[in-house]
Amino acid sequence: MATRYIYKRDASRLFIALSEQGKKFKIYLPQDAYPIINNEEKEITILEHKYDNFCFLWNGKKYFTHIKSKDQNKYRVIVNGVEFFFSIESISSYLRRRMLEESSDSKKTVSIQAPIPGKITNIFVAEGDLVNEGEPLFNLEAMKMQNEITSPITGIVKSIHVKVGDNVIKEQLILELSNINE
Amino acid sequence: MEAKKILIANRGEIALRIIRTIKKLGHVAVVFRSNRDKDAPYLEEADEIIDANESLQDKVIFLDADKIVELAKTHNIDMIHPGYGFLSENPDFARKCIEAGLIFIGPHPDHIYQMGIKTIAKEIAEKVGLPLVPGSKGVVKTIDEAKKIARKIGYPLLLKAAGGGGGRGMRVVENADQLERYFNAATLEALNAFGNGDLFIEKYIENPKHIEVQILGDQHGNVVHLWERECSLQRKHQKLLEEAPSPSLTDRKRSSLGKLAVKFAKALGYYSTGTIEFIMDEKKNLYFMEMNTRLQVEHPVTEEITGLDLVEWQIRIALGEKLPFKQKDIPLNGWAIECRINAEDPQNRFSPETGFIESIRFPYHPQLRIESGVTDGTYISTNFDSMLAKLIVHEKNRKKAIESMLKVLEETRITGIKTLVPFFKVVLSHPDFVKGTYTTHWIENVFQHEMLIRPEDEMIAALAASIAYAMEYLPIAGENIHIQQDNINFWVLNKRLR
Repeated sequence: MATRYIYKRDASRLFIALSEQGKKFKIYLPQDAYPIINNEEKEITILEHKYDNFCFLWNGKKYFTHIKSKDQNKYRVIVNGVEFFFSIESISSYLRRRMLEESSDSKKTVSIQAPIPGKITNIFVAEGDLVNEGEPLFNLEAMKMQNEITSPITGIVKSIHVKVGDNVIKEQLILELSNINE
Repeated sequence: MEAKKILIANRGEIALRIIRTIKKLGHVAVVFRSNRDKDAPYLEEADEIIDANESLQDKVIFLDADKIVELAKTHNIDMIHPGYGFLSENPDFARKCIEAGLIFIGPHPDHIYQMGIKTIAKEIAEKVGLPLVPGSKGVVKTIDEAKKIARKIGYPLLLKAAGGGGGRGMRVVENADQLERYFNAATLEALNAFGNGDLFIEKYIENPKHIEVQILGDQHGNVVHLWERECSLQRKHQKLLEEAPSPSLTDRKRSSLGKLAVKFAKALGYYSTGTIEFIMDEKKNLYFMEMNTRLQVEHPVTEEITGLDLVEWQIRIALGEKLPFKQKDIPLNGWAIECRINAEDPQNRFSPETGFIESIRFPYHPQLRIESGVTDGTYISTNFDSMLAKLIVHEKNRKKAIESMLKVLEETRITGIKTLVPFFKVVLSHPDFVKGTYTTHWIENVFQHEMLIRPEDEMIAALAASIAYAMEYLPIAGENIHIQQDNINFWVLNKRLR
């Protein structure tokens, strides 16, 4: 059975909505599937929309939303008569800001090293890609065996330090991931 | 019965409510068109409209007694219904109507006057034997006198300035140690604020409930009560939700309270509709507070449980008819709850909201009664009060009434301005309300605006904001979104989110 990963590679479809009270929603808007909110696919559909006002259907219930105001990335949204205030960031700007705020060598960045010496035969991701925990990152050939190295976290590929065909030694840095779940 | 021309000196939902009964009885409904409220929905339902043409310097017509009477005379009006608020409890207005040969739909002006002065009302209540909150008879001049009274009525007690209100010169005294200090402080405060340091002392009622009895009397000495309403959900003495009957009374207490109210009205010689308000303490002792000499905002809950049309009986009584029913004929059927849909923001200290109502939709529900004075496009200004509509449900029992009201509120949709709809959902789901133990301090002591935030609403809001952001800023949106008339074609979004 093929593993099903919730995120597609396109990191530009991932947004962070931060509420006034500091509550955080990670929202992934796929091209042709249900939205993924805080790592869970929600069966929400849009029934109607007019400008920024939506009518969503979720669990058989309708939710009407109205954007009361927006100022750059800050939105006031009314749902069921209650006002919510969110600032929205794309994942890249979010990570960039977080890195400025904290030291870059914190546990928010995960380094992937070669577990054994060998040859890189395939790289499945590119810089900036969104990867799921358990999703394959690259193949490392050693002792004629293809070893699939998977991602230990859900995150964004920050940098790749090798290319296909490179020979690597044990514990050589292969790539770095930015954790989006912290 | 001869058709009468009845002028309604009021506006909004209550004007519409009164028009309905006037038409039902075959009379002619006449209303004012105010310059401050020119295309109000009630105008469409009236049989005749009198243009008030007030200038902005003039008083609004509903407060201008002389002009109302003058216009009534030139338009051959027979009767005047004051509604509630405005001049409804102004004895001079009632008197002016009568002197001009008009029939005032309400009680005798003397009764409006007497009940308008609290000390007179309390004196009469005491004579009739209604319980009053224990306290000093008149002002307390010295600390020794205060100590004597405190020993008699016990703590906590309330020191109140005789000269005024607004919280100045007012202190809650918890125990004997505090009495002298607070007495001196309150005296000084009252002296500075009102030029009069005199204080009253009364028992402080902790966690009070507000219970009121509806009475109906004719001009022939017959008075019945139409049971009680509980209006304990209040904010700064403004009622927000009312129910009938009260969940706080036993059947026995209910009928004895009703009898007291009737006794009071009979002692006055009162006729028309009236409401006698009581405050209830934690031990379920009830004390007389005051009497309202008009139709109440919350009268529909009484109409629902008794099946009587109160406006109809106001008109019939004003025309001299006798009440055809006795106390034992007054039914008490099921349970009714009313929510006042005010344009107030419960997330921001209930501050009034102004602006256009973009759309207002109430669901169909067989047990729902809607009293609304607004429609799509109505502008809510600061000229008038903030109540847009009242929702009333009537069910077999309280549990069902709560369920139905919640269902109605869930399906009510008002856009353009914020209202109390989400607030009532919190109230009706709260254990204090479900158990019926809520008091007039519930909003200040229990309610927090964070209670309005429901996790699913918050998540949907985050989703909506994210989509709006994506549509505005992201190049990915451009990739596969077709631009039509500057708007994003929906099917692509549909595709993205399905």
